[in-house]
Amino acid sequence: MPEPVSPIEALPEASRAYGEIGPHSDRPRWGMVVDQERCVGCWSCAVICKSENDVPLGMWWNRILSEGEALDTPTMVGGRHELQWLPLACQHCDNAPCVKVCPVSATYHRDDGIVMMDNERCIGCRYCMIACPYGVRVFNWGAPARPTDFDTGMVAARPIGTVEKCTFCVHRITDGQVPSCVWSCPEGARVFGDLNDPDSRVSTLIRDREGERLLEDRGTQPKVYYLAPRRRRNL
Amino acid sequence: MSAGTISQPAGEAAPAGRLNRPLLAWLSLLLVLVLVGLAAWGYQMQYGLSVTALNNVVMWGQYILFFMFFVGLSAGGLIVASAGRLFGVTRFKPIVRLAVLEATVAIMLAALFLLPDIGRPERIWHLFRYPNPTSPMIWDIAIVTIYFTLSALYTWLYTRADLARAGSPLAFGTSASESSVQRDERIKGALAWVALPAAVLLHSITAWIFGLQISRGFWYSAIMAPLFVSSALVSGLALVILLALILRRLRRLEFEDDLVAYLGGLLAVFITVEAFFVFSETLTAAYPGAAFESEPIRRMLAGPYALLFLFEVVAGLLVPFLVLARRRLRASPAVVAAMSILAIIGILVHRLNIVLNGLSYPLIEFPPGLSIGEYTAGQSSFITSYWYAPSLVEWLIVLGVLAFGALVFTLAALVLPLREGGVH
Repeated sequence: MPEPVSPIEALPEASRAYGEIGPHSDRPRWGMVVDQERCVGCWSCAVICKSENDVPLGMWWNRILSEGEALDTPTMVGGRHELQWLPLACQHCDNAPCVKVCPVSATYHRDDGIVMMDNERCIGCRYCMIACPYGVRVFNWGAPARPTDFDTGMVAARPIGTVEKCTFCVHRITDGQVPSCVWSCPEGARVFGDLNDPDSRVSTLIRDREGERLLEDRGTQPKVYYLAPRRRRNL
Repeated sequence: MSAGTISQPAGEAAPAGRLNRPLLAWLSLLLVLVLVGLAAWGYQMQYGLSVTALNNVVMWGQYILFFMFFVGLSAGGLIVASAGRLFGVTRFKPIVRLAVLEATVAIMLAALFLLPDIGRPERIWHLFRYPNPTSPMIWDIAIVTIYFTLSALYTWLYTRADLARAGSPLAFGTSASESSVQRDERIKGALAWVALPAAVLLHSITAWIFGLQISRGFWYSAIMAPLFVSSALVSGLALVILLALILRRLRRLEFEDDLVAYLGGLLAVFITVEAFFVFSETLTAAYPGAAFESEPIRRMLAGPYALLFLFEVVAGLLVPFLVLARRRLRASPAVVAAMSILAIIGILVHRLNIVLNGLSYPLIEFPPGLSIGEYTAGQSSFITSYWYAPSLVEWLIVLGVLAFGALVFTLAALVLPLREGGVH
C-alpha cells in the first residue's frame, strides 16, 4: 500500500513553489488583494473554487460580477464603453455581522482573522445570510447535485441544511499554500498574504495602489481589498 | 368555526368536556390538518428546504413571517391582563382569562413556527448548549421562553381556584380557600409588573432581529421596535376581541356589548399609532432619495408587491380606523368583529411587506447576482432579484401549525373555566 500523501505534496515542485504564501509575520492576519486592472472576468478562480472545495452545482462561494447592467456587457460612461469585473467571495470581515448574529457561534473568527464555519454546529437558521451585506453565504437547500458521481474536493462536503462559504482555502494555508483562486488566476489579479506584515505584498499593494474595501460605509472592515484600474480599457 | 351551531339552552354554560357533533367535526378537521402538516414537514425534512420557495436571495419567508405574526398576536393577551391590573382598568375582567390563554397559545405557536424554518431541527438543542450572547436570536429565544412561562403561569393562576372548586386535577392539589385566593391576587399583582415589560421586550427583541441588521437598509431603523409593539397591540387586541365574541356565542363567556364597543375604540387608538409609525418610517426612508433605503421603498410602492402595501394601508388601517372611530358603528359587535378581522389580516400583510421588501434583492446588485443555491439543468444558477411566493409545502406546514394552535385553544377553552367566577 502506498503511503497516503496530501494533495499538495503530490503537486509538482514548480506548482508548489508558485503557490507558496511566502514570508509572513509570527502572528499573521490573512488578507487578499484583488486587482481589478488585471481581472478579465474569466471565472477561472470561481471554477477552481468549486472543485477545490467540492461546492455542488447551483452554489458558488466565489463569483465574478460585471459592474454594469448585464453580464460581461460594457456600459457607456462619458461617451466610451467601459467594462470592469468585481470578483466577490467572503470578505472575512474583522467586524463580521455574520459572526455577531449566529445564535450558536457556528461561524466564528480564527486567531488569524479567517471567518470560519462549523458545519457540525450550524442549525441552518440562515440568520448569517440575512446579516451578510455581500451575499456570499450559500445554504444547502437540498441534496447536492454534482457533475461527477464522486466528490472532487480537497475538503469534506457540507451536510444538507447548513450554511457554507469561502474559507480562504484554510486547508491549503495549513500547508503554506495560497488559496486556490489566487493560485489559479491566469492574470495574477489576486494576491494573498499577511496584513500584519507591513512589507508583505498585500500590505505594499494596498498602500501603493490605495486599496479600497467593499461597502466600507457599513463598517464591516473586510480583509479583502480591491485595487481600482489605473487606466481605462479600450473597448 | 361553526360558532352558532352548538345547541345549548340559552343562558346556560356549556358543560365542560361534552362532545357534540359540530365540536367533534371541528376537532377532527383540526386533527386532519395537523397530520397533513406533520406529513408535509416530514417531506421537507426528507428533501431539505429545497421543497420551499426560498432561495439564497429570499432566505426567510412564510415560516418567519408567521413566527413574527404570532409573537405579535400573543401581545394582546398579556397586555390586556397586566395593563388592566396595573392601571386599574376593571372593565377587562370578563375577558382576562381568555386573554392570558390566548397569549399562551400564540407564543407557543410562534416558537413552533421556528422549527420548520431551520435546516437542522434535530440540532435545536445547540441554542441552549452553545448560545452566542451577541445574537439577537438568542435574546429572542430567552424572552420567548420567559414570556411563555409567564403567560402559562398567569393562565393557571387565573383559573386555579375554580379548577380546585371543581375538583379538577389541573389544580395540582391546591385549594380554593379564601386565603389562597387572596394569595393568588397578590401574586398576580406582582406578576403584572414583570409581565408588561416582558411583553414590550418580547416585541422589541423580535424587532431587533431585523432592525439591527446594517445589511438591510429597509430594516435598519430605530422605529422597528416601537412599530413591532404597535402592530402587536393591533393584531393581539383584535384577536382577543374575535375570540371573545366567538366564545360568547358558544356561551363560554359572558359580557355586555359595551365592552365590545370599548375594545373596538381601543383598537382604533392602537391603529392610529400603528399608522403614524408606518407613515413616519416610509417618509423617512423615501425622502432623501438615497439608494440605501429609498430603493426598497420604491419597490414597495411601485414594484410587484405594491398591491400588498395598498391593502395594508387601506384595508388594514384606514377602513378599520374610520369605522371603529364612530361610536354608533362600534356599538355593533358584528361590525367590531369584521373590523378586527380586517386589522388582523392587515397586520399579517404589513409583516409580509417587511420581510419581502427587506430581502427581495441583494445589496450588491451587479449581474449575474447571487447564486440561487439549487441546480436546474439548462437554467442559470444566478439571480439578481427574486419575488417570493410560498410553495404548497410551506402552506401545508403553516396550516398544520395553525390547526394545532386551534386544537390546543379549543381543548383549553373546554377544560379551563374561562368565565370569571363561573363554575362549570
